Amino acid sequence: MTTLHLFSRSPLADVDALDALAWVRGEDAVLLTGGAVEALRPGSAAAQLLERLPAGAAVYALAEDVQARCLQPEAAVPLIDYPSFVDLSVNCAKVISWT
Amino acid sequence: MKFAIVVLSPPQAPSARRALRFCEALLAGGHQLSRLFLYRDGVYNASHATVSGQDESDLPARWRELIERHQVDAVVCIAAALKRGLLDEQEARRYERPGAVNVRAPWQLSGLGQLHEAVQDADRLLCFGGD
Repeated sequence: MTTLHLFSRSPLADVDALDALAWVRGEDAVLLTGGAVEALRPGSAAAQLLERLPAGAAVYALAEDVQARCLQPEAAVPLIDYPSFVDLSVNCAKVISWT
Repeated sequence: MKFAIVVLSPPQAPSARRALRFCEALLAGGHQLSRLFLYRDGVYNASHATVSGQDESDLPARWRELIERHQVDAVVCIAAALKRGLLDEQEARRYERPGAVNVRAPWQLSGLGQLHEAVQDADRLLCFGGD
């Protein structure tokens, strides 16, 4: 993986919260945290943005933020804890925080 | 691996708590937190005057504990701090605000140059803001 893209703003609150998904390339990783996990609601406009990511891009979500919202994302999105968040940022060559 | 962490949100924001938990995890994983930098509303995390509710996590206290335990270089952007009423002894004296000191060790007020230096020095830079 080359770049880890961090998102934290909710697409329900800010229409442009996930605009930077346009910069995600194949083999990049996306980590949804905070309100950004709302993009995992099936059928939402934000979920469609995730579906349009290039093949090879991996999407993860911070488990505690998903659980706090009682979301039930598709099994394809791994839910990770903080040690895995650290590992992901180590394994990617760089991190971009789209705050 | 060396991490530089920037916190942009106040202690009430979930993203500030996320930053703290990330820092705890990276240190537990054997990595180095080379600099912690507070910017914009993130500077409120350095306030010694914050009183948290009894049923709430006292984030400023948890930051202080982490910084002291791991001897982290913890910097508060001075321009962002002054305009939000966060002053250390030296700045309170300079701007004649006696009794308004609310930033103390382990935090230090300094300039954006410290962030630039941290970015050059660290292997990874992560910024925590937003929700």
